[in-house]
Amino acid sequence: MDSDCLSLLPAVCLVLADPKQAPPDDTSLEKLLDWFKELHSQSNGQVLLQDQPCLLEFISSVCTSETTDPAILSFTLKLTGLLAATKQGFHLLEEGGLLLCAFEREACYVCDLWEDASVRSGWLQGLLNMLKHQKSLDFICRNGLIKVVLQLQNDRSLFVASLANQLLVHILNFLTSSSTTNGSDAVGSSVSSLRSDWVSVSSEIMNAVVEALSSEDHPQVLRGLRLLSLVLSQCGEPIRSMLWKDVLVPLEVLIKRGSESLTQTLMTVLQAADTSARPVEELLEAMLGDGNRKECFQCAALVVKLEKCPEVSKRKATGIILLPLQCVSTQPQTEIETYLVLNEQLSQKASCISLLMQSLSSLAELAHRKFLFEDISIHSITSSVVWLLRMCSGQCPSSLLRINASIHLIGCCKVQRCGLDTLGALSVYEENVDLRKDIFGVLLDYLQSPDSHATVLKKTFQAAVRWIAVCSPFPDLLQFISHDLFPVLEKRMCDLRWEVRDSTLEFITQLTTALNGNSGFTEALHTSGMVSVLLSSLADTEGYVRASAVAAVGEAVTASFHHAATERNSSLLEKALTQMMIALSQDTEGFPRRAVVKAFTSWLKGSHPVTALESSLSSVLSLGGNDFDWEVKMHTLELAEVLMEKTLTCCPYIVQNVDFSEKTRLTQALSRLKDYGLFDLLFNSLLDCDRPVCEKACALLVRLRTLTAETADLDHSALVLNVCGNRWGDEVQSRYLNKQQA
Amino acid sequence: MKLYCLSGHPTLPCNVLKFKSTTIMLDCGLDTTAALYFLPLPLVHSPRLSKLPGWVSKDGAVNLEKKELLDLSTIDVILISNYHCMMALPYITEHTGFTGTVYATEPTLQIGRLLMEELVTFMERVPKAQAATCWKNKEIQRLLPGPLKDAVDVWSWRKCYSVQEVNSALSKVQLVGYSQKELFGAVQVTPLSSGYSLGSSNWIIQSHYEKVSYVSGSSLLTTHPQPMEQSSLKNSDVLILTGLTQIPTANPDGMLGEFCSNLAMTIRAGGNVLVPCYSSGVIYDLLECLYQFMDSANLGSTPFYFISPVANSSLEFSQIFAEWLCQNKQSKVYLPEPPFPHAELIQTNKLKHYPSIHGDFSSEFRQPCVVFTGHPSLRFGDVVHFMELWGKSSLNTIIFTEPDFSYLDALAPYQPLAMKCVYCPIDTRLNFHQVSKLLKDIQPLHVVCPEPYTQPPPAQPHRSDLMLELQPPPMAYRRCSVLGLPFRRRYERIHLLPELARSLVPSEIKAGVSVATVSAVLQSKDNKHVLQPVPKPAPVPPSKKRKRVTEEPPEVLNPKPLLSGAVPLEPFLAMLHKNGITEVKVEETADGHILHLQTEDVLIQLEEDATHIICDNNEPLRTALRDLVLRFLQKL
Repeated sequence: MDSDCLSLLPAVCLVLADPKQAPPDDTSLEKLLDWFKELHSQSNGQVLLQDQPCLLEFISSVCTSETTDPAILSFTLKLTGLLAATKQGFHLLEEGGLLLCAFEREACYVCDLWEDASVRSGWLQGLLNMLKHQKSLDFICRNGLIKVVLQLQNDRSLFVASLANQLLVHILNFLTSSSTTNGSDAVGSSVSSLRSDWVSVSSEIMNAVVEALSSEDHPQVLRGLRLLSLVLSQCGEPIRSMLWKDVLVPLEVLIKRGSESLTQTLMTVLQAADTSARPVEELLEAMLGDGNRKECFQCAALVVKLEKCPEVSKRKATGIILLPLQCVSTQPQTEIETYLVLNEQLSQKASCISLLMQSLSSLAELAHRKFLFEDISIHSITSSVVWLLRMCSGQCPSSLLRINASIHLIGCCKVQRCGLDTLGALSVYEENVDLRKDIFGVLLDYLQSPDSHATVLKKTFQAAVRWIAVCSPFPDLLQFISHDLFPVLEKRMCDLRWEVRDSTLEFITQLTTALNGNSGFTEALHTSGMVSVLLSSLADTEGYVRASAVAAVGEAVTASFHHAATERNSSLLEKALTQMMIALSQDTEGFPRRAVVKAFTSWLKGSHPVTALESSLSSVLSLGGNDFDWEVKMHTLELAEVLMEKTLTCCPYIVQNVDFSEKTRLTQALSRLKDYGLFDLLFNSLLDCDRPVCEKACALLVRLRTLTAETADLDHSALVLNVCGNRWGDEVQSRYLNKQQA
Repeated sequence: MKLYCLSGHPTLPCNVLKFKSTTIMLDCGLDTTAALYFLPLPLVHSPRLSKLPGWVSKDGAVNLEKKELLDLSTIDVILISNYHCMMALPYITEHTGFTGTVYATEPTLQIGRLLMEELVTFMERVPKAQAATCWKNKEIQRLLPGPLKDAVDVWSWRKCYSVQEVNSALSKVQLVGYSQKELFGAVQVTPLSSGYSLGSSNWIIQSHYEKVSYVSGSSLLTTHPQPMEQSSLKNSDVLILTGLTQIPTANPDGMLGEFCSNLAMTIRAGGNVLVPCYSSGVIYDLLECLYQFMDSANLGSTPFYFISPVANSSLEFSQIFAEWLCQNKQSKVYLPEPPFPHAELIQTNKLKHYPSIHGDFSSEFRQPCVVFTGHPSLRFGDVVHFMELWGKSSLNTIIFTEPDFSYLDALAPYQPLAMKCVYCPIDTRLNFHQVSKLLKDIQPLHVVCPEPYTQPPPAQPHRSDLMLELQPPPMAYRRCSVLGLPFRRRYERIHLLPELARSLVPSEIKAGVSVATVSAVLQSKDNKHVLQPVPKPAPVPPSKKRKRVTEEPPEVLNPKPLLSGAVPLEPFLAMLHKNGITEVKVEETADGHILHLQTEDVLIQLEEDATHIICDNNEPLRTALRDLVLRFLQKL
């Protein structure tokens, strides 16, 4: 195809270079460029320019014309850079004076085209494309293009400025990498090993960074910081340490000045720098200050998230970030000065909420990594979170004197959600199980409250699952579940909002999984009438809810397997199976049908045989295989896979007889599978219109064939004929033909 | 301007406003909580209830919020804001000498009539042989058992009114429509939609220069009535704010959800649901909500029964007051489709209504079911029967949706009770958050409200968000308060008769402002003021009839010209200099300047609003100086 395209290229170039023709839109130019890139990457050293001289003419005509469209010029610059990325290409272009013509700054300034941001961006992108070998770097240095790039760093277009930054970083990287890897140019890796003309380039760039940081102009400082963080995170030595040495003083000055809008960027810089280094620790210390500045909270929240961070700074940041939480929910013990700033922040609704959310999410982050709190007990932190959650539901007053933060917090979903997440995360600390009464109390309040938003309830359920899993060894847990939790869940399953019903059912599923094997729980599940509520939820009006109900019922059945087969258990299984089969065959929505097949699969996977399911398996396979929903078909194939494994590896339903040869065993297993209709399913699915389904069916068939082939002394053809009455290939072919005719 | 507060109940207000010689009663709510002191009135003899220890039960008791604060016969007009706030009307208009007018919207009148008739029916169908009053004597009351001995103001408890009294009281009602301006004496009263119930209104009482707004039972939620009209409440001098939500912590949406889930839970378990409620109001929204919910919860076959002497009328009335409904429901009328879906529930036999448990109901009744019936106090009405019938089974549930009564007190005579109790008070009236937003928007100069709104609820002293915090702080009233409303009347509109107007000679004192002097006689009658020309002195009649002194017209003098403007200091000094007065000592004072003409020994005080020339016995000089001063002033 490429050769066809290449033959069209001269004509395309002519059209593009013609200023009278209306320029095509950007996307087609981008696509053309992509094609060039692909061609370039496949060329294996062949130079496109040699075969296609029309390109040289095109570049020359576009760059010299004064009436070129900006979009075409931008495209040409990018293309030129791309073509110059190989040494030969570069050579050819330089010979024709085209490189200079395209990239020399005077050339660009000739007309007003430079005013167009797309041209500037094309110019930068061209250089970036070109920068693959030393000659290109020499070209940039020789022609003083670095200055232009540095200027473009302050461009009014954000895209251009960011591209300029990238180019600068790329240049610095190229300087160091070529000096270390290419022995012909330089030896060793020290600063002095850089070529002298390149030293001037690197120092020019670094000086620009230092200058920007010392500037009084806020946007310029911001740009300097951005470039600095890019260099620190992407460049190697010796550039990193050279630059770091130079920027240390201006950085200190900036931090001392303390500007809230710079905090985020400054932190990115510190994060990019080697955070374990001594000066970084001092800088972090300075940024955190004494916790009495507006920006220190944001800073502390960022420090807490740092992966590598000096222990001292982390402890200090932790102390600071927990302050808002403690201030609102307990009597803080810190000095009055800290209060004043906090007081002011907490008295305004927006800042109060954002501070508390920062505090809570940082705490969750710390808990996630199981941070060891030293100055403050995890008990008191957890109690604060519980208190805050109570306050958000209007049950507790805020304790801080004079400030009534609770006015901002009552009914605030954001803080509620964040607080519940944090409470869930705090379950990793074993000491907290002593507080389980309070914790379950507040979770229950949220579940009971008629005003809880659906998303808040979801978070409550998530937190509850975590805590229940942690507290499962305690005997009072079952009491809580059956006396307090189940009645609320029962009510929530009748909620007006389907989202709530759905998350309640999901929660019950998770709860059953988490307490799998706990006989007391299974008993409670049955005696409290929850099971019958679950069964009635199978007929919910909302498809998602029915799907979740199927999952919950499936899990409840699985849980009952662990106990002696009582009459109750078998009646549950019977009811569940009947209703789920109805759902599989009649439900109008895909989700419940998918859930049914998944539930059956998990029953089958379990260690306990489900005899009741046996009789329905063939209808499940045929219903699932003929479903309209491809995911149902996929799940059916997964069910088939489990069935195959179970039947072929060991056949629990066949009396194991030592005399049985391998062959007999396999033949019997295969014929069982045939009875289930497994082969029908696989052959049908092989010709399915959905690709994943075909692939899965094919994989399963291949596995079957391998298995039969591997089995020693097996008369292949006899077995196959015996099982299917036909050879596989013929079978597939005949089905294909049938389908074609249909 | 004074406000007499006859009721301290924030949601059942009864205030009297005296404004421009007009006495206006704002609502007359009836607090029936005293009924909770009495045993239920069973429709069917209940051996259990009759065995309960207690005093001989008396016929229904009601607490009229009234004291000898005011003579009810002096009331000129009663403004009714919604049907719940008019239940005491017969006590005000009958047997008191009341001769005024009652203003209410049509739905308020019709549904109010239904509620009154229902109350009367409830009372009269279980008549009591005797009525006792002696126990109200303080000496005897002190000996009574239980909470009865602590009940206050038992003397104000009255016997329930009769149908005749209801009819007579309602015949005094004059119907008004929203935004219809009704002149009453010197004031104009206008009802505005308040969004709380069918025909519910807030009122604006205004004269030419004063505006009082009365906000009572308003709602910003999207329920069945027309939405609340807010913009007309702007620029009020005084806003009287009553009827906020009684349960500020319960959000109606959440409670509705709670109602539905508890109902579904009970029905699924095979139990019955009893909803004690008023026969109009929230029940329409409950039925609408259930109409959608029951199908989605797979409970479509469960029957609803609505039992009330006025059930049929209530359901039918709601459908015909289309113009009073929210836009969404109004548009259905043109489809044509009944505005409320309960029509469809009735058609499909899912909702059935009966006047009483007697008759058809007992034969058609099928369980499990949902029963809506009154009265929410559980002391009278058909609900008493269902409490006796279903109270023993833990499968059944009673769901309280009306916030007017303490549900625990209401349940007291039925204890021990096996049935589940759920409290889902649905009060759609404004909450504190909405009110503070509303007040920020309409900016009244002063707010008057019941005392409980100025402090957090007693049960939750930490909830400072559940009170009104305003600048200036609201004026709080309690029962029997008399408040002097804090606004000064500064202007009054006066009419000029055309012939007088014709005689005026305006002169322009600055661009766009002309001034004229007028001499006239001011006549004030019925709060209307008219300037009439001064009658010409009648020529002395030739007859020698004795003139009546009273008819003597006032003597007409030619008015002196009025001066305006200010005397500028520097030009004045220059002027003095020009006229030969050179030695002037100028002293600055707080109000202006004092000029001391030393040679002449004259003082001239120039102040903002007065000029004095003090010179001893030198009249020519004084006149000369006066003329100099006058040159700088404009004459009218």
